[in-house]
Amino acid sequence: MSETKPIPPEMSCAEFQEHLPELFAGPDGGLPKSDPSLELHLKTCANCAALVRDLQYIAEQARQLMEPAHDVDPSDQVWANIQNKLKEDPGPEA
Amino acid sequence: MPATKPNTGLFKRNPPIAGEADAIERAKQGDADAFSKLYALHKRRVYTLCLRMLGNVSEAEDMTQEAFLHLFRKLGSFRGESAFSTWLHRLTVNLVLMHLRKKGLNLVSLEETINPSDEDAPKRDFGARDPQLAGSIDRVALERAVASLPPGYRMVFVLHDVEGFEHNEIASMLECSTGNSKSQLHKARLRLRELLRNPEQLEPAPGESVLAAAALLQGGAR
Repeated sequence: MSETKPIPPEMSCAEFQEHLPELFAGPDGGLPKSDPSLELHLKTCANCAALVRDLQYIAEQARQLMEPAHDVDPSDQVWANIQNKLKEDPGPEA
Repeated sequence: MPATKPNTGLFKRNPPIAGEADAIERAKQGDADAFSKLYALHKRRVYTLCLRMLGNVSEAEDMTQEAFLHLFRKLGSFRGESAFSTWLHRLTVNLVLMHLRKKGLNLVSLEETINPSDEDAPKRDFGARDPQLAGSIDRVALERAVASLPPGYRMVFVLHDVEGFEHNEIASMLECSTGNSKSQLHKARLRLRELLRNPEQLEPAPGESVLAAAALLQGGAR
């Protein structure tokens, strides 16, 4: 008897999207490699595939914001205020 | 399809800076010049973090001031178990969160009341008729969109996707479950997607104008 690969159950978009928070928190970053049903839905549903691509893209772009070149300076008044406060400060705690 | 890489953590993103260790040791002894050096080295990162979390220039400057005053007092407890910048970021995040709690902002449940679940529900018809976001987001738009998020969403998004904190760390800081952190992050990204696909919804806010203007000055690098 030849062994046939079981067909994963069909899944709706809503069911697929319910899994997204966990999928994106996993090591594959939104790719459902360990669940055949989720993987099949992602392969066959253009809408959900577009959603996953967009969310991955947003997460990637967000990491670029961490680059030091994107930081901004506080006004000089901040350091002036800190210096004034430090004059009244007893100093670092031991 | 590019896989989302795991958060690399602040230590990897913030390797030790030349002269920093010496400045830390001297500042621990109360050396004002050494503390001034630490401020010069870290003011931009601390201020930008406050600005992204608070979305308000005045509050961000106040919290930057508080963070460095707190740093001055607590420097003796820094043992070098993590990068100094990591330690300073955590200290800053905790101060900002404490500040928001004092203002009465419930960081975990606020987003639920601001954004009813039906509004947050993923839309079924996206993707088919609209262009993909990939390749289309510039930094100005992203800064604007992040600033337009409700505070609770913005907090989790900035901490996880921008600053690189893990869900268990965020859950600890926000006093919520890791599942809640994951859920809020997902909702934040969904909201960002909607905002970025409909940029007319983006309204300039006091805080975002600084970051977005900086992005414009730097060419809005993608």
